[in-house]
Amino acid sequence: MLDIQPTLNDKQVFDFIHNGYIILESVVAEDFNAECLILPPGHLTDFIQSKPFRQNVLLHPEVSGVARSLLGADFTVPTSAHNHLFEHPHRGQTLHSDGLSELGYGITHLQCYYYPQAVEIEDGATMIVPGSHQRLVDREAIAHYGNISGQISITVPAGTVAMTHYGIWHKAGPKINHTRRSMIKFSFFRTQPPKRDWVRESDEPPTYQHSGRHHYVTEVESYRDRRRGEHTWNWLCGLTEYQEEYHPARMFMSGIPLSQIQL
Amino acid sequence: MDTKIKNHLSQCRQKLENGQLQAVDLDQLEALLTTSNHRRNQTIMYLYSKSTNMRSPLSGWSIYDPYRDDEPELPSQHPPYRSVLDAVGDGWRILQFPRPENFPFSDIDNNYLAFEFILEKFT
Repeated sequence: MLDIQPTLNDKQVFDFIHNGYIILESVVAEDFNAECLILPPGHLTDFIQSKPFRQNVLLHPEVSGVARSLLGADFTVPTSAHNHLFEHPHRGQTLHSDGLSELGYGITHLQCYYYPQAVEIEDGATMIVPGSHQRLVDREAIAHYGNISGQISITVPAGTVAMTHYGIWHKAGPKINHTRRSMIKFSFFRTQPPKRDWVRESDEPPTYQHSGRHHYVTEVESYRDRRRGEHTWNWLCGLTEYQEEYHPARMFMSGIPLSQIQL
Repeated sequence: MDTKIKNHLSQCRQKLENGQLQAVDLDQLEALLTTSNHRRNQTIMYLYSKSTNMRSPLSGWSIYDPYRDDEPELPSQHPPYRSVLDAVGDGWRILQFPRPENFPFSDIDNNYLAFEFILEKFT
């Protein structure tokens, strides 16, 4: 199996549990970004399974290192993706989570956004709500939400990959120009029970450290976030019972285990 | 009530008493009621308060105005008001208060944004 090394330490795993995302800026090489700029909108398969895409994006040491840290060894490597391409002004999407929500406290699915060009806020930057992955909602029932304190517009340099918890609330933000803005979305999945095998400074797992309160969160909600974070941390460390479940999002996205990939 | 409509109604009452009211008077009244200068436009605003107290700070907001241009607007981190009460002070009427029983208490799971006030304003 390809040797993919984890890159996150305990503190960075705490942060991911709390925020639901990590942004890797400018990790993909400029010349490969340029190749991706001409991709058509919509569903992509052949290009995603090509050796260059795997080498430059999916199995880039920083990208796959996060997947390895949060999903364990032999995570699935995407074999399909979707190019969200916007070229004209629009009001933006409504805020939503994708597909069916995840029940439970584990981390089994990372949804990633790759930007082959720089993104400014006027370009219709993807917006996310930090911490919202811990809220189980009907996606159609949050469509009337507008601005939320602490929301983030992902304005980034070319070659950036944002890796998110599948349940995070997000949308394509309002676009006020005609600049071509592409975002290639793909997913990694867990295949093995969790254990604390990311970058460790000690063998003894530290107690979960809660990072405080997101701007929009009420006091009691913050207590719940902390408690939920503790459950997720214990689950990731393999301290609680693990039940393998078929992730509903696999209805939409495909991948093959890392152990079956050859470059 | 709009002054022009009020004056016209007053004239119509006098004509009615004198037996002079005609269909054209009602046509004029209809025109006054339906011209854009006299139509009152409803705007809806959702405010998410950090508690049921109307003085609490806001965590989210959205405004639906059917009469504004449909141009995209960039996102904002700054709520239009400090609180629900602040909005009421600016002429917004509350259509719906958040009822605590609509926010089931759980020791661990969060879900929708609390606490949702729906307000309206006529312009």
